[in-house]
Amino acid sequence: MSLMPTCQSVQERATDYLEGQLGLRARLGIRLHLLLCRACHAFVDGLRHLPGFAKRALGLPSETPPGSHAALEAALRRIRAGD
Amino acid sequence: MPSPPDAEDELIARAVAGDADAFEALVKPHLGLFHHGILRILGDPMDAEDALQEALIAIHRELPRFEGRSRFSSWGYRVCLNAALMVRRSRVRVREREQREEPAIGPFDSRGHHLEAPGAVPWHVEAEAHGLAERREIRELFLQALETLPDGVRAVFVLKDLEDWDSEAIARHLGISPAAVRQRLHRARTTLQARLRDHCRGGRP
Repeated sequence: MSLMPTCQSVQERATDYLEGQLGLRARLGIRLHLLLCRACHAFVDGLRHLPGFAKRALGLPSETPPGSHAALEAALRRIRAGD
Repeated sequence: MPSPPDAEDELIARAVAGDADAFEALVKPHLGLFHHGILRILGDPMDAEDALQEALIAIHRELPRFEGRSRFSSWGYRVCLNAALMVRRSRVRVREREQREEPAIGPFDSRGHHLEAPGAVPWHVEAEAHGLAERREIRELFLQALETLPDGVRAVFVLKDLEDWDSEAIARHLGISPAAVRQRLHRARTTLQARLRDHCRGGRP
């Protein structure tokens, strides 16, 4: 088996690669591929940046949603009733 | 605004002693945070409201065992995530039909090489350059994209990439293997990346 994986193989294993779940040979193969393939480099780099970007995009909203007050009131009714 | 630590300790003591008004004052400043965590896992606002109610009851029930080793908000948030996962488990049988979709990668030729030339600038570079992460449209785009993911895939993404749980803990909570956690994570990330790539190029969502 060649050390150099295909683009498809790199993209299929990109999360395992980023999560440090691949063995040395597979890891080196992907690293080598990423040095030579601009498309896969962008793909893996994008996946690497996704969690941080998502955290910022999906941060805590400034307003408390109305449904949460209704949930609190319902919970308080149950607590006062001895639930 | 959350209560100062001393005031919070007093509210906890009163709530444990049975004072429902103290419990209300204790949790009210954190309602937005609690709801936010639950909604990200469940997606559906009605389910989130029900889960939040159950979480608040659980917080009240467990409060005597709160030892103050972490902040109350962090502890309560964890209780809320567990409540959301309980609701998710109860509805999995009804709603979740895991479609065997492939991750959003490719297209490739028969030898496994790219068929399309890459874009000039990666999506995340465009997104950062235009400050898109802070824009409401991107938040909506993310929420819609998350909503299209199967529950189990969304839950893994939220717990791993937004809540920073480790894979072992996620596997335990969801009753799946760590390998399945990574498989679902890959599917979530590639799907979300494909949506972002389409929208962020050119700096316009």
